[in-house]
Amino acid sequence: MGTAPPENGSRAAPPTQEPRHDTAAAHLRRPPGPRAIPAPALGPTVNGQPLVILDAPRSRQAGTGTVRRPRRGLAALRGVQGFRRGVQLAVALYVLWVVIDRAVVATAGAMGTSPEAICPFGGIETVVTFLTAGAFVPHAHSSNLVLAGAVLLLAFTARGAFCGWICPLGFLQDIGAGLSSLVQRHVPAAFRGMRALRRRAAPLAILDRPLRFLKYAVLAWAIWGTATFGLMVFRDVDPWIALLDIGRESTGFGLLVLALLLVGSLFMDRPWCRYACPLGAANGIVARFSPVRLERSASACVDCNLCTKSCPMGIDVAKATVITSADCIGCLECVEACPRAGALELHVGLPVGGRA
Amino acid sequence: MSTGTPTMDTTGTPTAPAASRQRIPTAAYGLIVVAVFAGVIGLGMASGNFQTTGRTTAGGERVAPEGGASSEVKGWMAVGDVATARGVPLPELLAAFALPADTPPATALKDLESDLFSVTALRDWLDARNAATP
Repeated sequence: MGTAPPENGSRAAPPTQEPRHDTAAAHLRRPPGPRAIPAPALGPTVNGQPLVILDAPRSRQAGTGTVRRPRRGLAALRGVQGFRRGVQLAVALYVLWVVIDRAVVATAGAMGTSPEAICPFGGIETVVTFLTAGAFVPHAHSSNLVLAGAVLLLAFTARGAFCGWICPLGFLQDIGAGLSSLVQRHVPAAFRGMRALRRRAAPLAILDRPLRFLKYAVLAWAIWGTATFGLMVFRDVDPWIALLDIGRESTGFGLLVLALLLVGSLFMDRPWCRYACPLGAANGIVARFSPVRLERSASACVDCNLCTKSCPMGIDVAKATVITSADCIGCLECVEACPRAGALELHVGLPVGGRA
Repeated sequence: MSTGTPTMDTTGTPTAPAASRQRIPTAAYGLIVVAVFAGVIGLGMASGNFQTTGRTTAGGERVAPEGGASSEVKGWMAVGDVATARGVPLPELLAAFALPADTPPATALKDLESDLFSVTALRDWLDARNAATP
């Protein structure tokens, strides 16, 4: 077992003193600059032998104590992260095409796909009405139900992979986070400002955990309200609808929420996904029963904490041996960040959910 | 876990050791994600249950407003067409929801939505009117 590597200046506390979830201050974006990436090979040893850093694919690593240097920039897009970004980009381009078709190309009455018809949450909103009355609430189509089924089946087979691999709103927030990191890396004043903001926001850490339950309340309200009133009550504040219908009939509140989440993503990874997304809440509930899970091998772990730092959802991966958090979006950023082969891997197995 | 060491999740709750488990390569995980999501959508399309607009059927045939269940009234339908199909004088329909009397008949219902008017409210009104009419 290796010793802890040197920490960057913003996080001096050793991993064992970290709270259960990363603090709100730590949620604020840290740039992957020179000070933000520790060098695991400088200090740690494994079984008394110094660790060896290789800038090589994981498959070529072998033997105890082999550690991979974290990839940065475009190099980080090699492998599964490139695959994931490609899928996200393809879905985002499709949605963009639908939005343009809706807003510019199509004239009234000549429309093909309704943008709202490609919203999985519409299927969850209308499911009660569909099951009880055999009808869809306004703005819902059969495609919404199919997409909702796809998302929930995906939640069972691959946990929160819809959020991490497919959801365009998540991709937009990832772009915001990437822009923030880029600016901080090249503008020292921005880096210093963000560091000062992290310090000032530290007392808000106590709000992180309770706020994560907000999305379940949003989910309950959206389903109850739609079933009760026959209207998609969440629609007026839904940033997804605001994005899809942009330039046509977007509501003020929806656009405001969309703007807030985009601005928020400059300061914090995936704020909408963490605290308010009702689809993510439904996803998380089903994912609790998934036989697929991330597992951390304590014997292989070098306690570098890179997995926790790389998690866009602020999950303290380095503290768990089985990651069953409903917030996990299956992005595999932690697996890619892990410098030690075999320390963090995906497994499928029984019992379902991994709970005792 | 198979190591025999106590395991816990991110909330600190002890977890049961896996009776059997198999490692999933990350690339295979990505393929599973794409295959499951695209597969369900493909099945929906193949079975004709992936309708993305109310204006045409899954087979591409245009849907025209007609009588029947009020749940068939959709937001994209023109107010004039709905009034005709349901046998309701347009002025009566407009007056019931305090809509301007000079509203063009070609206006889509969803473009008329306000605090006083919605497609759901229209459906309820049509149901009530039908029930009251002998």
